[in-house]
Amino acid sequence: MIDTRRRLWLAGVIVLAALGFLVFQGLGNATLYFRTADEAVAQRAQLGERRFRIEGDVVDGSVRQTGNDVTFTLTANSVEVPVMHKGDPPELFRPGIPVVLEGRFQGDHFASDRILVKHSETYVAKNPERVTTTQP
Amino acid sequence: MTTTTRSSRPVQILGWLSAISLALTAVMALVISPPDVNMGDSVRLLYLHVPTAWLAMYVSFGVTTLASALYLWKRTRSRFWDLTAGASAEIGVLFLGLTLLIGSIWGRITWGVWWTWDARLTTTAVLFVLYLGYLAVRKVPASPEVQARRSAIVAVAAFLDVPIVHQSVEWWRTLHQPATIGDERRLLDPQIHGAMAWTLLLGVVAFTLLYCWLLAHRFRLAWLEDRLADRHLEVAIEERRAEAGLSEAAEVTS
Repeated sequence: MIDTRRRLWLAGVIVLAALGFLVFQGLGNATLYFRTADEAVAQRAQLGERRFRIEGDVVDGSVRQTGNDVTFTLTANSVEVPVMHKGDPPELFRPGIPVVLEGRFQGDHFASDRILVKHSETYVAKNPERVTTTQP
Repeated sequence: MTTTTRSSRPVQILGWLSAISLALTAVMALVISPPDVNMGDSVRLLYLHVPTAWLAMYVSFGVTTLASALYLWKRTRSRFWDLTAGASAEIGVLFLGLTLLIGSIWGRITWGVWWTWDARLTTTAVLFVLYLGYLAVRKVPASPEVQARRSAIVAVAAFLDVPIVHQSVEWWRTLHQPATIGDERRLLDPQIHGAMAWTLLLGVVAFTLLYCWLLAHRFRLAWLEDRLADRHLEVAIEERRAEAGLSEAAEVTS
């Protein structure tokens, strides 16, 4: 009886440890979900042609649409990275917003094939005068 | 404990209250609240996404954990807490599934992807699997006491992921935005337009009422099932006894 109980506990501990390991392994990846543009430039040599996610703000007035591609400049902590994106940007893509891009460095620019539009935690009404503002 | 086949008056009132508040939330969310300056009308998914997440993670799993802890504590141990824990977790899993689904649709519209393995999404997916596992553990055959104790331990362990999900947007870099409300630094100055905030608040209240109503019903069903199982057992024992008695009598006469 004692033995079965002990074995059950042991099994439980092993399962929990495995789960914990998986979670933190997974999160190890998730912790580095993206590198900011300045970090990516600093790690340029190590990154090489490796695929990673880069984050920054789209510089105002830098967006050029050329056929199927979009070029723009990404900035974070006053470091700028030129970007060439293949394909249509998402609907909410516009200058000035923070984005996360998936792709790799190619020569002097970042070749992106996926744009993820970051959303901030602020919610602002489109037509503030339409509704009387009440502070909660 | 009185349980009948019909819901009691307070539960009926609770049902009406949740229906009314849900209807009001729908009106506020779809008509009265303004579109967002960046997201446009898709911001209205906020009024489903946040309340379902609140209902699942904090209310349902919170109640499951509390009830499980009360079951594990010898002085308060009773079948009542075990059934409450199970009923609450079922509702939680359902609404966490809805949270993931609505979040995915919202993500497709705003971020441009249905899913991405960032810390918030990953830890939430883990939470969903953990509580599915808890519901599975509840069904593993054993004596009722062993079943209840085992489930209670798993429930308390599974809840450890809830604070991790909550803090994930602060601890790690995520695509998911950090908390707008419920963050101690922005508690008095949430970065959200007034009408949006009120709609969100109403949504949270409405879904909390809905949870209470669902829990009352799910618990009652679980309680009746439990009594039925006991009754079956009693009947089976009585039948055995009767059979044994009959065969004895037959032996005597022959």
